Order: sequence, then C-alpha cells, then structure tokens
Amino acid sequence: MKDLRPLSEIPAPAPRPDELYTIDVFGEQVAFRGLKRLLGAADHSKAGERHAGLAAATEREREAARCTLASLTLQHLFDRPLTTAAGQIDEVMRVNYDIDLEVFAEIADLTLGELKNRLLRANGRELLRIGAGLTGVMAAALCKLCDVHELVLLASRISCPTRARTRLGAPGTLSSRLQPNHPTDDLRGVTLLVYWGLSIGAGDALLGINPAIDTVENVSALLHHLDRLRRKTGAPTQICVLAHVKTQLACLERGAPVEVLFQSLAGTETTLRDEFDVSVDLLDRAYRTMAERGALKGEAEQFMYFETGQGSELTYGKHEGIDMTTTEALCYGLCRRWDPFMVNNVTGFIGPETHLDNFEMIVSNLQDHFMGKLLGLPMGMAPCYTLHSKISIEGQQIATQLLTAAGANYYMDVCLGTDRMLAYFDTSGHDDQTLREIHGKLPGAELLAWALAMHIFARDEHGAIVRGPRWGDVRRFCDSDAELAELIKATPAVHGFATAGPRPADEVSRVVRLHQAAAREAVACELGEDQLQAITPLRSLHTAASSKDAHLGDPSLGARLSAASLAALETEPATVQILISDGLSAEAVHHNLPALLPILIDGLAACAMPVGVPLLARYGRVKLAEPVAERLGARVVIHLIGERPGGDALASCSLSAYLLYRREDGEPGPRHEYTVISNIHEGGLPPLEAGAVLVEKVRQILEHRAAGNRLESLVDP
Amino acid sequence: MVTPPVKLIGLDFGTTTSKALIVEARYRSDPLSGRPEIQELGAPYRSDIVFTPFIGDRIDDARIRTLLDGWLAAASARPEDIAGGGAIITGLCARRSNAADLAALIRARIGGAVIATADDPGLEAFLAFMGSAAALSRARPGVPLLNLDIGGGTSNLALGVDGEVLQVGCLFVGARHIEVEPGSYRITALSGHALRLLAGLGISARPGDRLAPEQVAAVLAFYIELLEAAVTGREAPFQSELGRSHVDIPFHLAPAPAPDLAPPWLSLSGGVGELVYQRLQGHASPATTTFGDLGIDLAARILASPVLSARLLVPEGGGRATSYGLLRSLTRLSGSTLYLPQPELLPLSDLAIFGRISATSTDEQIHAALALVRRSARGGCLTVSLAGRAPGAVKALGGRIGQALQDLDFPASLPLVLLVPDNVGKALGAYITGWGRLPVTLIVLDELAPKTARFVQIGRMVEQVVPVSFHGMGQAEEAS
Repeated sequence: MKDLRPLSEIPAPAPRPDELYTIDVFGEQVAFRGLKRLLGAADHSKAGERHAGLAAATEREREAARCTLASLTLQHLFDRPLTTAAGQIDEVMRVNYDIDLEVFAEIADLTLGELKNRLLRANGRELLRIGAGLTGVMAAALCKLCDVHELVLLASRISCPTRARTRLGAPGTLSSRLQPNHPTDDLRGVTLLVYWGLSIGAGDALLGINPAIDTVENVSALLHHLDRLRRKTGAPTQICVLAHVKTQLACLERGAPVEVLFQSLAGTETTLRDEFDVSVDLLDRAYRTMAERGALKGEAEQFMYFETGQGSELTYGKHEGIDMTTTEALCYGLCRRWDPFMVNNVTGFIGPETHLDNFEMIVSNLQDHFMGKLLGLPMGMAPCYTLHSKISIEGQQIATQLLTAAGANYYMDVCLGTDRMLAYFDTSGHDDQTLREIHGKLPGAELLAWALAMHIFARDEHGAIVRGPRWGDVRRFCDSDAELAELIKATPAVHGFATAGPRPADEVSRVVRLHQAAAREAVACELGEDQLQAITPLRSLHTAASSKDAHLGDPSLGARLSAASLAALETEPATVQILISDGLSAEAVHHNLPALLPILIDGLAACAMPVGVPLLARYGRVKLAEPVAERLGARVVIHLIGERPGGDALASCSLSAYLLYRREDGEPGPRHEYTVISNIHEGGLPPLEAGAVLVEKVRQILEHRAAGNRLESLVDP
Repeated sequence: MVTPPVKLIGLDFGTTTSKALIVEARYRSDPLSGRPEIQELGAPYRSDIVFTPFIGDRIDDARIRTLLDGWLAAASARPEDIAGGGAIITGLCARRSNAADLAALIRARIGGAVIATADDPGLEAFLAFMGSAAALSRARPGVPLLNLDIGGGTSNLALGVDGEVLQVGCLFVGARHIEVEPGSYRITALSGHALRLLAGLGISARPGDRLAPEQVAAVLAFYIELLEAAVTGREAPFQSELGRSHVDIPFHLAPAPAPDLAPPWLSLSGGVGELVYQRLQGHASPATTTFGDLGIDLAARILASPVLSARLLVPEGGGRATSYGLLRSLTRLSGSTLYLPQPELLPLSDLAIFGRISATSTDEQIHAALALVRRSARGGCLTVSLAGRAPGAVKALGGRIGQALQDLDFPASLPLVLLVPDNVGKALGAYITGWGRLPVTLIVLDELAPKTARFVQIGRMVEQVVPVSFHGMGQAEEAS
C-alpha cells in the first residue's frame, strides 16, 4: 500500500497575482493576463473553451500563447499555482504538488520547450522518471506544445502496467473493460452482455457496470452477480460496479465482493466536493479500507479505478477559469495519489458543449492519454460521443487507431458500441479485437490463456494467436436456447451476434447505423409548429437559443426565455400550464403529441383544473419550465420535452413529461419540485395512456401541494 | 417498478409421484417494454419426490394435506405468504373425483392456485407446452415453436407463438409400446399399437422374442417418419392405414392460423425429450434399453434426423414440463397504469368472463354484454378489443360504454372488470367514467389478452401491478 502524504505536509507556493505575458508576433504585441488565460489560449479551439471565453480568438493568438508557454521555465509554473476564484489553492492543486522534488530540481530551470525536446530524445523509463517531478499544470502546458505525432510518440514509449487479480497494461497487450450496462440493471441483460464480451475475448481489464440505480442493495446485487458470472465462466479478470465510492464502501461493509474501487474524479475541488461528493480525505480513507478489507487484499498491487474526461468541471461551471486540458491534467495529478489499477478517460461523453466535432474529440483524447501516461497513470481510453454532437463513429475509430499506436492500455467493450443505459456511443469488443489484429496486440496474458483453452483464441500453424473456432459463440455460456432467448429479450439494441472476421457482420452494422441515423435525425429535426397547431391551438415562445447549433452547443440557452417572450408573458389565472418543447428530439414531440395532448386537455378539463392555452417553445431545455411558471404564476407546469436519443430508433421518439410544482413564496426547500414521467413512446408508455397518467399525477401534485420525492413520500408514506 | 418479494408454488401430482417447488419472486418491469413480469429471486425450494398417497384408487386426503403442509414448512412459507401457485394433476390423480378432491385441498391451502388437470391428450400437449416451452416461445416473439412431448405411449404436439398454444395434436408414437428386457431387445410386452405396427411392417414378433437390429430400425424409422411428417406438414404418412392408426388427435401444421409464419422451431419434452437434451449436453447415452423400452434408441434417431434436429431448441429445464413452468405461463401481470380507483376491492376470485366487446360492437351489443354482467350477483368480466390505440377509438368506445352503464343503471357497487390487450387501461377507464364522475365500481386491467379462458382470478395489487390467472378452457364469445 502506498503511503499517503497528509495534505498539510505537501508544500505549495503561495499564490501570486496574475501577471501580464506579452510577446511580439511579427511586430504585433499579443498579451495574456495570467497563467490561466495563457494556458487556455495555447490549446486547440474546443467548444468548451469557446463557451468559457478561454480559447484563442485567432490562430496567431494561439501560436503566440504557445511561444510564450514554451519560453517559461518549469520553476515559473511551479511558483504560480492556479487558484480558485477566491484566490485559494484547493485540495486538487495541493495534491498536484506532491511530486518528486529531486527530479523537479533537476529540470526546474528548463523551459517548457527545452523539456519537450529533452523528452523527445528520452526513452520510456526516463519519461516516467521526469513525469514524477511534474505537476498537472506542467504536463498540460507541455501537451499544448505537442503536435499529434509528438503526443503519440511520447505516449507510446511509456508503459504503466498494474496488477489487481490480473495484470493490465503489459507491453504488447491491448485489453478491454467490458461494460454490460443495462437501463434498468436487469441481471439478464448484464449476463448476456458479459457472455458476449467474453465470447469475443473482451473483459480482461475489468467487468464493470455503471449502475442505473445507485443504492447499496442494488449495487451489492450487481457485484454478487458479476462475481457469479466471473466464477461460472472462469474468466480471469476483476469486477467492479461503478457506483459512488460511498455506496461501494457500504457494499464492502455488507460483504459484497468489491475488488476494485471506482470513483469519478475532476480537476477542481469544487467539482469534486459539490458535484461528485468526494474529498481527498474520503478517498484516502477509501484507499486504506480497500487495502485492509478489499476483496483482493493481499493479492492486488493496485485496486483503485478512476474515471475522468475533459469538460466536467466546465459543464458544472466549476472550472475556476482553468481550461479543460489543464483541469484534466490536474485530475491526473490527483489520481496518482492513490496508485490506481486503471484510469479511464471518457472525453467526448458530455456532448457538444465541450467537444463539438471529431477533431476536438480526437485531439483531446490524444492529449489526455499523453498527460496521463507522463504522470505515471495506467491509461485506458474511451473516445466516445453522443448523437447530439457532430462526432461520428469514423472520428471515434480514427481516435482509437491513433491511441492504439500511442499505447493505450485498454478500451471499452460496449456491445455494438451502443451503451444501453447512458445513451452514448463507445468502443466495442469488435473494435478491441480489430485494433489488436491491426496493431499486433494481444489480450492480457491470463485471459489469453483462458480464451485459448476455451477455443475463443487459437494458435495458427506458425504459433501466432488468431481468433479461434468459438470466437463469438455466446450460446456456449447458456444452458439452453431458452436461456439465451430470454437474455436477448431482456436486452435492448442487440442487433445480432453474426461476425465477419473481427467485425460485426455487415447486416448487423447496417442495423446499428440505421438506428443511429434515425436518432441523429430526431436531434436534427426542427419542431413542426404547423402540425402541432393542428392538434390544438398553441402559443409560440422563443428561448434564448437562436439556432439549433446554439441550442445543442450551450444547454443554458434553452433554459431561458428570449427577452421578447419573457416580456410577452404575464400572470394568468390558470393553475396549470402545458409547455411543449423539442429538447433533444423534435421527433418525440411529433410522434407523441397527437395522441397525448387531446386526452391531457380532456382530462384536465374534466377534473376542472384551470389550464392555459398550451405553450410551444423551440430549442427548449428542461429548466425552461421555471421561468414559464414564474412569469405566468402557474402552480404546475407540464413540460413535454423530447429526450436525448440513444441507439434505438423507437426510443429516439421518446418523450418525457417534467411536472414542475412551484412552491409558495417563503416555503423552505427548493423553489421548484419536479415529478418526471419518462419513456413516453409507442414502445414504452404509450402517449394516450401517458395522457391519463399525467392527469392523475397533476391531481396528486395539486392535492398534496408537492412534487418529486416529497410528493412520493406524502402519497405513499 | 420493483415490488417486495412474494412466494409462488408449483405442485405436480402424478400417478406415482408428487413434488413441489416454492420460489421467492417479485414483480418487476420488463427492461425494454416496461411491461410487468415475474422475476425469480434466488434458487427455489424443491421438495423430495414422494410417492403420491392413495387409498385404493382414491387419493389419501389426509396425507396430501400433510404433504402440502410439510412442503410449505420446509420452504419456510406460511400459506398466507403464497401469492399464487399452479398445480399439474395427471394420470390417476386426474380422474374426475380425485382431481376435484385435490383441487379442493389445494385451494383450501393456496387460494389463488391455478390448477390444470390433464385428462385428455390435447390438454396434455397444452400443459407440456405451457410447462416446458412457453418461456422459450415468449422469448422469441412471433416465431412459431412446436413442442413435441414424447413419452412412453404418445407424442403430444403443441404449436405455439408468443407463449400461446395455437394447435395441438397427438400421435401414438412413444418409447414403451414395445417393452424389452433392459440391456437387450427381448420383448416383454407389446401394446395394441405395437402389435399393429409390427404386423404392418411385416415383423412377426411376440413377447419373449428378441428383435433383430433391422427390426428395431424399422420400428424407429416408422416413428421418425411420422414425427418428421408432423413437423413439416406432410400428410402422406398419415394417409396409410398404419399411419392413421397412430393418430389420436390429428395435427395439421398447415394451414396454420397465420400462413405467413416461418416453419416452426422445435422443442422436446417428456422422457424421450429429456434423453435427447441430455445427449445434446454431452452426457453419455445410457446403456442399451436401460429403461426397458426403445426410448434411448428413439432419442438417438431424433438426434440423427436432420428434420428434427436442425431446428431443435433447448428450453428451460431441458424439456421437463413443470407446474412452475405452467404457473409462469398461465399467470399474467397486468400493465402498471391500470384503472383501479379502489385497490381494496381485490382480490376477486373466479370471476366469470361474460363476453367480449370491441370498437366495432354496436350499442346494442355493448348493452347486452354489460347486462350479462349486471345479472351476476358477483359482477363479472368482459374483454375489450380496441383494434389499436387510436385516441379517438378509445375516447369513443369509452364514452359508449359509459353511456350504456348509465342506461342500464349499473349498480354502483357491482364489480365490472374490463380486460384490454393494449396499454390503455387508465385512459379507457377515465373516458368511461368521465374521470371518476360516474358512480361505478370499474376496474380496467390492461396488457392482458386471454384467448381461451372462461374465468379469471385477480390477485391483490402489489405496487401498481395486479397478478391475474386465467382458467377454464373455452373461447369467450363476442357479445351479440
């Protein structure tokens, strides 16, 4: 177990006022106030930095920033810790100063440009040695000076193997984290996805589920189930349920097999504390608990697992004015405190507000991978995307080719690339195997031996490892066809198990892509006001988003009314208002409103609930209900809004109803409470029936003067 | 939606042996459709297999009662813990008086049990499908599945789709028409069908004789030909005198109810079926005629037949039809958005299904159907077909039913249960009652489509879901 240095014993320099960095570029003076601004301007232009006002306005400004950075010494960066808005050094920054000071002393006088040259001339061991003397800010600054070749080349020299039950990241290997996520944590779906992944040689890094329900009971059940599957199949790997660290520790306390402890981390203390509900102290205790009582105690050399990715701090508005790459590097500086078994980077997951397109996602992934490895972390990568961004599967595949060349330890195995719980798209086991074959990589040694014995892999006549006769034979793990059929029936977006070489058979790929195409169309589709007005008269509103791109790129715009719309609304006597907006799927509105709206209006009228003329807002987000409720003086706003499309065409037409209850002035607690009825579409809760359900729910809300958890506790105490 | 655990029981009473299975389960939403379903929790309690207690030809009531109590105690289940159950009664137990006694005994202990008595071959085929293959069939929506329940005397055929049996048939093809000394082919007994078969094949053999390998092969070839013909819809083998003599209930694959359906996949059950699945799972074949019949050889020939083996699927339990399988197949859960303003009305037992009304029913037909229910002192049940979920259709039919209830002065306290296949229960109930303004004791349970039942048992609501069991064979007629 690694000794954890108390925070109070980590020396960090006192903060200094921002200073002005100036540089002459072809006779023009370019200036940057403070290190944060300089670091932001030196990076590639990315959506998140643009929204935060940190990106360089021009190419000239960007290169000027890079030239300035290149001229700064490491001592200069050391002496200027990035501070919070209040001018403090937060926990994350302090942990970043827990570096090898002897190494740092050796390189302190090098400029960043000189350091980059030195690293390019060094071997992997030297890179790791120097990395131990760098803070996250230094790694971030360095990476902003590197082009794609340099990011790949430097990272490819670094090897960071770790060991839990099995070894991960050994040279020549490419592993995968099998992610059998299911929208309702249905154990049958989990089972199928684990069987499938193992049948194609995936899962050697970890079998890891993101739970839909983060309760001790549910997470324990999932852990025990994964443990049963691991034992039944005999696959040599480790398991994890990616719940909050507190939930996992409670599961461990109850005897659940917590082998590897997971937590999402971020690069600022406010994000960690306010959004992720963790602190350095909590994680220190968690680390010590795992060392003493974890399911792999005495066997695992590492047992912590962290997930990171550019943009979370910025999305929460808690980036402290620091750019996404640098906060990500600070996060890595934090991760290494607990000597993790694996770090998983999911840059691209958030959406177009941080990474708009393929280039932004690819370059960020390369930066993250390089920075993580330089700081000594066992980096696994998950270049991923959501369908409301402009990132495509092609961009994702280009990223994986480059990252494999750069020596990524592992990717995700999300069956057919479609995550069934998180509605995003990640790499698949097919991708993992394809990359192994292109780049001459193998699974981890323990899983390879098992898979050879299971004929999932085989040796050809030259002794080379090839796919074996049972590669992709998912049926082998089931006792009956009935069992397999039952598992498949319980699992969404399983479009087939047929394969062609390491790839899905074309007929399977076509279906996957068709579903994605339908979902993309649902996002791109504009709200058809005329067809909705034909159902019933509607009042049109405008949000602060002036275009679809603005709406997708900045979620806050759709939560506000335009000035004109705000001015047009006045207090009305109606207790209930109906608000319709496209959200992320106008198709959902088009498909469901013709059946839903008439019964909703009939029901509200039959129950004598005063309701206003329904409102229609293009480019709306969930929170738009709040200014509408306030402006109109409505007690309840029924907000019908399109959900974010995933990998299923039917579900791309899925509507949610957010029932906002506006509490009385002066009541303690949040001003607005929400009850949510989701999954409204013909394959889920049909819109007609949903209308009747909504009428009943609105009655309850008004009767009990509450919504959300408070309503549930009053209705069913 | 995940409900607290409940206990379910399955009972099998046969001529020789009886057994019980008790499982803890809960109702939860299907992850994809949101449709409620039963999910088992952990391993079930399985009783020892005991001899069925008889006094002469009559079941021994007292010992049966003791058995039931012992099984419940062993599973740490009190009778009141049992939320539902199923029983399969076969053989001597299924004789009319015994079956009635057993049913009464079981009902006294487990109020909501679904009891199926196999007293004819068609029902045996139905039960075999429901007890063994229904789960497999439901898991493969829209795919025809033909279950062959091959036992000692008969092969009972049941063709189903989506877990519902569409057709049944019965052939006198079985393992024990020719009984032999274990380890040899020396005949010890021949059934009437075997005598006809051997004569038809030109084989002169009687008890005490040893069948030659080619004679065994000829018998098995005849059996296989009949089975292959049945599963492929080929009529010719059944048109000979010998073929006809081996048909108890004709099975006509074609014309199937839905002619565009693909050829059926196959599953097996019964003793021979289990032998086939044991071989498929890699178990060594038992020694020659270990069981004193031709079952082992018949199983081997089935596996060797491309027609029978190429589309063969493995059901849960490897082909053993069980009361628990039956229970799962006959017990349905309502949708979770039903119309039930007074949940305390439940449970309702043995409510008659009086008929069916649809969007195309005339007002007179709707009146007639509701009048039937009105005449019943206990109230009753109607099935409602909407032919889709068109909002206008639901509103219109709801309004017409509501009007008919007013016209009939339908008693406010008389339970009226409507069963609707589509997920529109709350909407239909709302339109019928004008959102609760019509004083009527109405329950609308949706996502339920009984095809053949005459009676329904409606359990207590658990979290927003109601377990419903159907029983009594026979088609509910459209009101007229």
